Parts: sequence; C-alpha cells; structure tokens
Amino acid sequence: MTDARAPTAPTDEALVQVRGLSTVLNGKTIFDRLDLDIPRGKVTAIMGPSGTGKTTLLRHVTGQLMPDAGSIRVAGADVPTLSRDALFALRERIGFLFQNSALLTDFSVFENVAFPLRQHLKLPEELVRNIVLTKLQAVGLRGAAELMPSELSGGMARRVALARAIIRDPMLILYDEPFVGLDPIALNQVLRLIRTLNETLGVTSVLVAHEFAAVARAADLVYLIAGGKVVARGTPEELQRDDSPWTRQFFGGEADGPVPFQYPARDYAADLGFPAAGAAS
Amino acid sequence: MSAVRDRSGRRPSMVGDALAQVGACGLFLLQILAALPKSLRHFRETVRQIWFVGAMSLVIIMTCGLFVGMVLGLQLYYVLSIFGGTAALGTVVSLSLYRELGPVVTALLFAGRAGTSITAEIGLMRATDQLSAMEMMAVDPLAYVAAPRFLAGVVAMPLLACVFNALGIFGAHLVGVSWLGLDNGTFWSNMTSSVDVWSDVVNGVWKSVAFGGVVALIAVFQGYTTPPTSEGVAYATTRTVVFSSIVVLALDFVMTAFLM
Repeated sequence: MTDARAPTAPTDEALVQVRGLSTVLNGKTIFDRLDLDIPRGKVTAIMGPSGTGKTTLLRHVTGQLMPDAGSIRVAGADVPTLSRDALFALRERIGFLFQNSALLTDFSVFENVAFPLRQHLKLPEELVRNIVLTKLQAVGLRGAAELMPSELSGGMARRVALARAIIRDPMLILYDEPFVGLDPIALNQVLRLIRTLNETLGVTSVLVAHEFAAVARAADLVYLIAGGKVVARGTPEELQRDDSPWTRQFFGGEADGPVPFQYPARDYAADLGFPAAGAAS
Repeated sequence: MSAVRDRSGRRPSMVGDALAQVGACGLFLLQILAALPKSLRHFRETVRQIWFVGAMSLVIIMTCGLFVGMVLGLQLYYVLSIFGGTAALGTVVSLSLYRELGPVVTALLFAGRAGTSITAEIGLMRATDQLSAMEMMAVDPLAYVAAPRFLAGVVAMPLLACVFNALGIFGAHLVGVSWLGLDNGTFWSNMTSSVDVWSDVVNGVWKSVAFGGVVALIAVFQGYTTPPTSEGVAYATTRTVVFSSIVVLALDFVMTAFLM
C-alpha cells in the first residue's frame, strides 16, 4: 500500500485530480491540503467516519461548493474557475446520486428519469420512453414507472435516482451513499449495475459509502479519509490487510483510536453535575 | 445560543439586516430577469405556473370580489342617499374598484393564496435537495423554477384583478339595483360616462402588473433563500405574506401619486 500522506503525483490516468484542497465550513476544518486522484475507468470508493467530508468532497468535484484553497480538475477542467455555463456543460457529463435521492416530487418516476433527457436533448418521445424504460429495467423498477415519488420506499427512491443519474450515460458517476436502505437483492443488483457500467462503458465511478463488504465487491480503489486528509489508500484487499491504527479502528468499528467517537465536549462528570475527580470534599 | 454576527464579527442591526435583505432581493430580481430568456425554453412550465397561481386562485378572488362589491354597494348607497346622490353609486363603486380596491385587495389575496404556496413549494424543494439535483443535471433552477413563477405572477395578477373588479361591480349592482331599487340604467350610464379607460382602468392594470411582480418576487425570493428546515420554511411563508402586504400598500401610494 502507498503512503497516503505523501502528496500524490499527478497522473494522466486520473479523471479527477484533487490537489491541496483546503476547506473550512462553519469554523471547522473539513479538508487540510487534501490530495487525491480518481483513476479513469475505475470504481473508487471514498470511506471515512461520519462528518469527515466525503459528501463535501463530491460537492467540490461537481462545483456545488468552492474550496478555500487548492485545485479540483475534472477531465482537465479546473472546476472552481469554470464559468457557470462551462460548469453546466461539465455537469451534463456527470451523474450524481444524492444521499436523499432528491427526486422531483411533482413528477412521476418515469418523468423523473426522463427529466435530464427532456431538458437537454430533443429526442422523439418513443426513444425517450425506450431509454427511460431500459434504465428503469436495469434498477428493477420498470413496473413502477407511473408511481409518484411519495409512493416509493426509501430504497426504491434511491434506485430511481440511480436510473436518473445514469440516464445520459455519463463519463463520471458520483454515488453518495448508494447502498443505504437497499434490501440484499436490490443491493446485489445495484452492485452489479455499478460494475457493469464500469466494465462495459468504461464509466468512472466514485462511491461514498460506509458498507465495506459492499465496497469490497464494487471498488477497485479505496480512499480512507479522516482528519481532513487521506489516511489510507489501496485496493479493498490491501486495506483489509493493512495494520495502521486508522484502518484497524475504522474497519474494526472500535470506539478507541485516532478517530474520536465522541464529539468534542467538556468533562463528562462536570456535565452531569458531579464533582471533578480529585476535588477536595 | 450565540448571537448572529456578520463576517466582521459585528452583530447586524435590524435596519442593516433589512437593507441587506432588500439588496439581496434586488440582486435576485436581476438574476431572474437574466434567466427569463432561458426560461422561455420551459414554456410549458410557465403555463403550468400561470394555471397554478392564476386559475387556482379564481375561487377566492371571485368570492372576495363579490362580497367587497356588495359591501361597497350597501355602504355607499346609504352614504350617498344622505346627499340624494344614489345615482352616482355605479360611478363611485367602479372608480374605487378600478383605481384602488381591485389591484390592492387582489394583490393581498394573491399573496395569501399563491405567494405562500410558491414560497412553501420552493422552500421544500430547497430542503429536499431538488434544486441541487436540478443544478447537478445542468438545469438552472433560476430559469426552471424561479423565472416561470415570477412570470406567472406578473401575467396572472392583472387578469385576477379584472375578474375581481367585474365581480365587485356585479356585487354592487346586485345590492344597489336588485335589492335597494336603484335604476338599472342610471347605474350603468353614470358608470360608463365617468370612468376613463386610460386614466382609471389601464392605470389599475399597471398597478396590478407591478403588484404581481412584487408579490411573486418576494414569494420566490423567500422560498429560494429559506433555511432548509421546517421552521425555516414556516418563517419564510409568513414573511412572504407580511412583506408582500407592506410593500403592496407602500407601492400603491407611490404609484397613485405618480399616476394621478
């Protein structure tokens, strides 16, 4: 496994290059000179403790959030410096699966999935229908095409959002927590879909997830982020074998370790109103 | 809880905060105007919004217009009868409605019926990441969400005010002529002879257009900038009604002063 704390050399194979990314939100340092490469045509997983900035990283990559310092290059374009039109042109080539699905609640499942096609392409209605039904079939929801988002379970909504994210066959797909709320059957199919998109179309995928078992089946490369930096990087097998305190604590699910389980707080006994240890009676 | 502070660490005053809101709303208007040409690509969405804020408001506008006209007819008939001038009922009612009551009351009702729903809808879209999802699909929410609703307000308000005026005159006629016995010919002839199309009717329409733009702008701005929480949406909806009412009444005075 490479030393993740060492700066990563820029590579031609990287579709996304993050260099020296620093972000402070509400006074809290999220990223501290983060370096990271997303290799082209691979499935890369971003893992790390809650609140460590995984979703924020995706928002940086898509230009939804500007960094305080550093550069984010996607397909050669420096995202923070792009004009709005150029950013939208780039986003047309990116699929994004939101953590909460973010389906348009006034539209049916079919219209949600068809939305990007209708907005950007003038296609015959029959072709739109065929493309949408093909994508819905891929996520197992062709039969739910006429349902409204309010009639879907959380897992179904996520699969509809996934169909919408891949409707235009993007070069890069960003999945924010794609496995949450999926039953084992749906989880298996989504994993297969991610791999199929990667292997058949050469799509570059980035997964933000907590489920290492699922990630190990889908990802070619895993980044473990904590404390604003990449603390470990490698294939799922390499990370499983890795013996660093970070990987041991994260994958072992231990409360004690370099990643604090408790949010910073004052002394527990004092908070409960007990006299401090060692105080004179 | 710590007090809200600006970037320099100072606590903003209420006046400063209000001015900042007005400035932000002005900039938002410029953004909407810039997005209007792009929003024409979403023509069906604009028509849908006109139907939503216009046609769906018809019942409340017609009902209120009828009752306002009936009350005007009743009150003015008795006041005018003191001076023996009941013949002027049609004139007074129509001038009151065309010049002031039609545009103003319609705008206040419009803010309560359509403005609040626009704010709540956009606020919930913000809270559930639907606006972010549109941005990620390279669809500008200003052109797809904000501009059509703004345009719908500008188009629907004068039409609603016309309906309000018509029902108001019908209500006054019902009370004055059908119930209190005023001559039908006197009611209509005095009205048509004293109402000027340009200085009364058209000026009222201009007011309606302005009020529609103001109410729609406030509603869209409040929804667009609301904190993504249930409390934030609730406050934004309330602010839409309060700010719209104040601005409509203040703008009415200014426009009346200039148009007279």
